[in-house]
Amino acid sequence: MNKYDVVVIGAGLGGLTVACQLAQANKKVLLVSSGAGTLLLASGCVDVLGFQPMDSREPIKNPLDKMATFLTENPNHPYTFTGQENMETGLNAFLQLVNRSSLNYQGSVHRNWLLPSGIGAIHPTCLAPLSLANGDLSKGGTMLLVGFKELRDFYPMLVSQNLNEQKLGVQADAVTIDAPAPIGGNMNVTPIELARAFEKADFRREVVKAIKNSKVIKSSGKGYDRFGFPSVLGLNRHAEVLADLEKQLGKTVFEISTLPPSVPGRRLFEGLRQTFLQLAKGRFLMGTKVVDGTIEKGRVTQIRIDTASELKTIKADHYVLATGGIFGGGLQTDLTGKIWEPIFGLPVVSNSDRHTWFADGFLEPQGQPVNQYGVKINAQMNPVDESNQPLSENLYLVGAIIANSDWTRGRAGEGVGLATAAAVIKQISG
Amino acid sequence: MTTQSNVDEVTLSIWDQVQYTADLCVKCNICTSFCTVANVTDLFPGPKFVGPQAQRFRNPHEISVDSSVDYCSGCGVCTLVCPHGVKVMEMNAKARYKLYKEKKWLPIRNRMMGRTDLVGALGSAFAPIANAVLSNGPIRQVVETVFDVHRHAAFPPFSFETFQGWCKKVHKKSKLVSDKRVVFFHGCSINYYEPYLGKAAIAVLEHNGYEVIVPEDQVCCGLPLLSNGEFDAARDKAHTNIDSLVKYAHQGYRIVGTSASCTLSLKSDYKHILDIDTADSELVARQTYDISEFLLELAEAGTLKTDFNPIEATFPYHSPCQLKTHNIGFPAIELMEMIPGVTIKHMQADCCGQAGTYGYKKEKYQIAMDVGKPLFDQILETGSKVAICDSETCRWHIGKATGAKMIHPVELLAQAYGLLNYGKTTKS
Repeated sequence: MNKYDVVVIGAGLGGLTVACQLAQANKKVLLVSSGAGTLLLASGCVDVLGFQPMDSREPIKNPLDKMATFLTENPNHPYTFTGQENMETGLNAFLQLVNRSSLNYQGSVHRNWLLPSGIGAIHPTCLAPLSLANGDLSKGGTMLLVGFKELRDFYPMLVSQNLNEQKLGVQADAVTIDAPAPIGGNMNVTPIELARAFEKADFRREVVKAIKNSKVIKSSGKGYDRFGFPSVLGLNRHAEVLADLEKQLGKTVFEISTLPPSVPGRRLFEGLRQTFLQLAKGRFLMGTKVVDGTIEKGRVTQIRIDTASELKTIKADHYVLATGGIFGGGLQTDLTGKIWEPIFGLPVVSNSDRHTWFADGFLEPQGQPVNQYGVKINAQMNPVDESNQPLSENLYLVGAIIANSDWTRGRAGEGVGLATAAAVIKQISG
Repeated sequence: MTTQSNVDEVTLSIWDQVQYTADLCVKCNICTSFCTVANVTDLFPGPKFVGPQAQRFRNPHEISVDSSVDYCSGCGVCTLVCPHGVKVMEMNAKARYKLYKEKKWLPIRNRMMGRTDLVGALGSAFAPIANAVLSNGPIRQVVETVFDVHRHAAFPPFSFETFQGWCKKVHKKSKLVSDKRVVFFHGCSINYYEPYLGKAAIAVLEHNGYEVIVPEDQVCCGLPLLSNGEFDAARDKAHTNIDSLVKYAHQGYRIVGTSASCTLSLKSDYKHILDIDTADSELVARQTYDISEFLLELAEAGTLKTDFNPIEATFPYHSPCQLKTHNIGFPAIELMEMIPGVTIKHMQADCCGQAGTYGYKKEKYQIAMDVGKPLFDQILETGSKVAICDSETCRWHIGKATGAKMIHPVELLAQAYGLLNYGKTTKS
């Protein structure tokens, strides 16, 4: 039987950040996750608050300016429980953490980058890798968006036309090129494969050659202020790839988020994973399911994990539940309308009538009711019951598992993850 | 990330449960993005395509839909990273078995590779000749042409004295007798190639007060047969081992091994790939420990001896795929860092490429080298002459590619305990 200071369950943004920071503070931390986590399905950016009211089309310039009205309108949002201080602490701690590795994140809680999304909408976000931040639309100017015939999940023309129609002060053109060997002709290519190809110098050289020889550049004869690519510019050697492309093109180069698996998400996952492995002497059980946890007299006494050969009991002083919402697997559902938290059996605020889970439209401005479902917390991040009585004083919740997170709407998902992470670290470190 | 199906509630064999996990796939492609093989070659389209996606077209009564599954190395990273619980690697192993079963005859090469015990026994008996043959360029070229075994693939020299032979001749008479006992599962590599590692393991266990039982009727774990498509022969090995080990397991003794892949077979593959699900197999699985896992538990209980001599060095360490699948983390790191002066640098690689017998095969050797490249580069970057890994074929492959002397974590412990002369013969 193993004994730890803290067990963190879940390896998304919140779980990894909490685990790294506690390990940095010399806690004996075990990180357990049932897979590689949702970062691989995320943009790799840190959204804090993008729109207020949530259904507004006008992106927020400074999230803190709008926080008070946001919380008045959404009194049960997790930010109410973390407070603004934890949000700032969480973001700063994240910046310090990731910039220890070769990642280069830019931004602050006081300002949103306005980034072009994969369909040419505006993605307001506080922290972004340099390569994505370079695409900030508020800088204006001209840009050429480059796509690859082989990458079927990214259409530069869709992005450029949508950007131009919104009259944002940028003028975008688009070009689709045939990817050079070894990608060329492979119509089943994933962003990761393309990213690995970009790590080869001759591949980049051929790409640049194809861009310079493209009709749009040759016929117009004009130069562009910036060049935008889908986010496939290298994986492990991303900084080198970005610098080399900027050198060859002589201009700023930026990336635009693509469909999963997300390359910037993978870079962030790897950065945090390797940081944790080094800090915590390898105490990361990836691909290990937590089968159950026991709460007795208001405290978690143990969890059990599924190893190759047996259910193993693990004990710790503190337990952090960062398993995500329905999307992340932290909440389970079935056809009868039941929604439950599978490890500790925590009460989930939800509606058992499945017909009430969804709004009529997929992109309904009011959002999907199902995204509000989750576990209620108090200011200590402990789960509470319907009458707000804490269920366990040494169990803390982080991220999308918390009720009213509604991470798809208002663009606050990662902010909730980091703010709750900061609040939890304060609780555990005292 | 998705709603769990109710598969577990229906009474299905372990195998059917594995197959049905295909329904949990949401096609997020996370597995593809981590796949070590698909990232270096087009011959393997990736775990999502070959695993859950192809699974929908697989029918036990019809011929296999796709032969590319043969290019899966079985490293298992897909199963580890899948957030939805799809048993991709296990599914592929089964599909590969069926693919081979449909062939009129299995390549002699695969039959050879599967029988590490037979090859080992022959090679060991004629070690001087066998070693001369294996290190002879022109002969290896002929072997490649005739048997499709790549001429540059790393084969360690056979040991003239088998580990079992040493145990019978020497260890049995001189071993520590104690009321604390463990069973040692040595596997083929220690028996025929690396007896010194087995001796180091026994030395470390005895140093900590354990009497070490080495059952004479243990056989190859069966993994090489399994990964070369011979499930029935692998099952025979499995049953022999379970029968050999269960009597000790009944007495509460732990079964420890230095080979992360052999111990994984006992812990999990017998059940999840070979479909052996009996009370005996369950008990053996539960009592089986990777040696570092076992020693770290002693350390956590405060009973591990810490009379280590300092070793002032930083060592690169690669944790093999098979160890990751134990779901025990990387106990060797913490253990080795208990030695004063030792710093372990955990290499950032999901696989070395070798994957058991995969990298020996002519058509897969280059893939194995390409998969391992980032790891090789990292090891070379450290400048260390010694690198550490818990799995034998990985050690041989990495050693050949980097020139580093490869050791098992337990060898470092033996050195720190001052036990390297135990059993008199040591690695030169």
